[in-house]
Amino acid sequence: MTCSTKRISAGLAAAALAFAFSAAPSMAADKLKYFTWSGYELPEFNQSFNTAHPDAVETTTFGDDDDAFSKVKAGFHPDLAHPCYDKIARWNKEGLLQPIDTARIKNWDAIFPIFRNLPDLKAGDGKVWMVPWDWGNTSILYRSDIVKDPEQSWNLLWDKKYAGKIATIDAVHDTPVVAALLAGVSPFDMTPEEMDKVAAKLREQRPLLSSYTTDMTSVEQALSSGELVAAMTWNASATSLRKQGVPVEFMKPKEGMLTWACGFVLLKDSANVDLAYDFINSRLEAASGQHLIQSYGYGASTKAAFDLVSKEELKTLQLPADPEEVLKETVFTGPMKQNDELAKMFEKVKAGG
Amino acid sequence: MTRDATTAGALSAKRDTVFTAAMLLPGALATVVLILFALSLVLFLSLRNNAGPLLGEGFTIENFVSIAIDPLYWTVIIRSLSIAGLVTAATVVTAYPVAYYLAFHAGSRRGLILFLVTLPFWTSYLLRVFAWKIVLAYNGVLNSALIVTGLQNEPAIALLNTPAAVVITLAHAYAPFAILPIYVSLQTIPTSLLEAASDLGARPFTSFRRIVLPNSMPGVLAAALVVFVPTVGDYVTPALVGGPSSTMIGSLIQSQFGKANDWPFGSALAVVVMLVILAVILLARHADRAFGSRT
Repeated sequence: MTCSTKRISAGLAAAALAFAFSAAPSMAADKLKYFTWSGYELPEFNQSFNTAHPDAVETTTFGDDDDAFSKVKAGFHPDLAHPCYDKIARWNKEGLLQPIDTARIKNWDAIFPIFRNLPDLKAGDGKVWMVPWDWGNTSILYRSDIVKDPEQSWNLLWDKKYAGKIATIDAVHDTPVVAALLAGVSPFDMTPEEMDKVAAKLREQRPLLSSYTTDMTSVEQALSSGELVAAMTWNASATSLRKQGVPVEFMKPKEGMLTWACGFVLLKDSANVDLAYDFINSRLEAASGQHLIQSYGYGASTKAAFDLVSKEELKTLQLPADPEEVLKETVFTGPMKQNDELAKMFEKVKAGG
Repeated sequence: MTRDATTAGALSAKRDTVFTAAMLLPGALATVVLILFALSLVLFLSLRNNAGPLLGEGFTIENFVSIAIDPLYWTVIIRSLSIAGLVTAATVVTAYPVAYYLAFHAGSRRGLILFLVTLPFWTSYLLRVFAWKIVLAYNGVLNSALIVTGLQNEPAIALLNTPAAVVITLAHAYAPFAILPIYVSLQTIPTSLLEAASDLGARPFTSFRRIVLPNSMPGVLAAALVVFVPTVGDYVTPALVGGPSSTMIGSLIQSQFGKANDWPFGSALAVVVMLVILAVILLARHADRAFGSRT
């Protein structure tokens, strides 16, 4: 009796193992592996691609594109990734990318020239390293009922009055850039002495913070409960909290909001280049951009997408239809020459050094 | 007859060796591939310059020098050791009564209680951390309960994003790891010892102090080690509930492999932490041998 029970359970275990191993390889090989910011994987962003190739995208998400860079460098091989413009030179230096042929991008000429002509994009010969898809702003989102008429300045995130009720973004191209602006240093190229000034500014802020984070959902919840009164966020958080009826303002700091642009890069050893082109083309359609504008409040990279959104709606989203107009007042986050040194310094400050 | 016996004996001895070797093989493979290889890779990386390829270039001891001369790393290491120490103390102190009850008083409910102790493991660790986030948050369960009962008018306890939150969350997460070894060591205490003690007129507290506690010390020490060692290097918990003042060494190492993109330095930090933990364990063993209450 016991013997037969043992045999049965052994048989079951063997069957389970065999099943586990046979199930593994059936994961599709010819799916497009897309590595992107969390929240950027919505099917609405590439509807025509999904119709043409049902169930053909496999998404992996990241919360910060420096982490994404390390992951790709360490041997993770997606076909298509979605870093921001300031990182392109860094990815390129490691030889991770292959040029994208703009002749195969149907809406290439519809992309705002200001993004299309960014210097680090150029790969020569009608080719580019990145196809811009989205842009937006980084600023302070604050509870307008608690923080009444603050000075329109990034200094709010350094205000001792709100100690413990402030959060900031845990990414090199956000918080350290703002610290540099406040310290009167160029964020994009600095001497070691200037970097010390930035570090001092960051150190001044650390005790006031509730957290350094890229988890925007938690930040939004904390703002709506009143646990936080001000936080550095991107447009999407402002849009989402306004929709929920939370009294918030997205500040226009006198030092300038940060404006960023991100897009698609094709990895060097991509096995699904054709699928990748189809995917990019689908994302550049006007409807995709319209969804990006309306659900997150981020800017699309084509004018056609903006044309589908009413002027009033753009006004509530604080999103002018022309990025050139925005960039007159904001600071564009371009490549930072000392990105690695800044990252190391930021990590040390965060840990208390 | 005798010859037959010797052959049979030799044969069975041979079979024994084959059997022993077969039994040892998986363990040896796991040790060599998963532990020794990984450890030597970390050691190798820690002596490289952070340049060019993933595995760095050239050899240097600069990584260790910069750790040694920068007080920040020692602050963070000491902070990690204190948080892990607090977690260990909290876990062992709260686990002991549970284990004691399980071993001596649970009776027929023992199976059920053991099942309940292991129940949290049925869900992912992340979910348990998020559950604590809900409890400790500003408008979370704890603060809401205080308001409802009239003890507070507005959310007062700011527990989330403090080191206290890290200690609470980790102590809860590691409770079963402490309960089980203590329970086993308590269960192996012969009841005759306790009977003898009470026959000789020992009060319950005296027999606990002189018999139960000393005999369960190996279990308590095992529990303390099992809790202490992994919590020193934990980085998920401080990242989720800790806030800036509870950055632990694990977070710092993780960021070297992520954002800061300096694998050699991260490896050097990892090696230093391993050595520090080793030193702490040796100290603890020494203390146990010198003042240990094992009979």
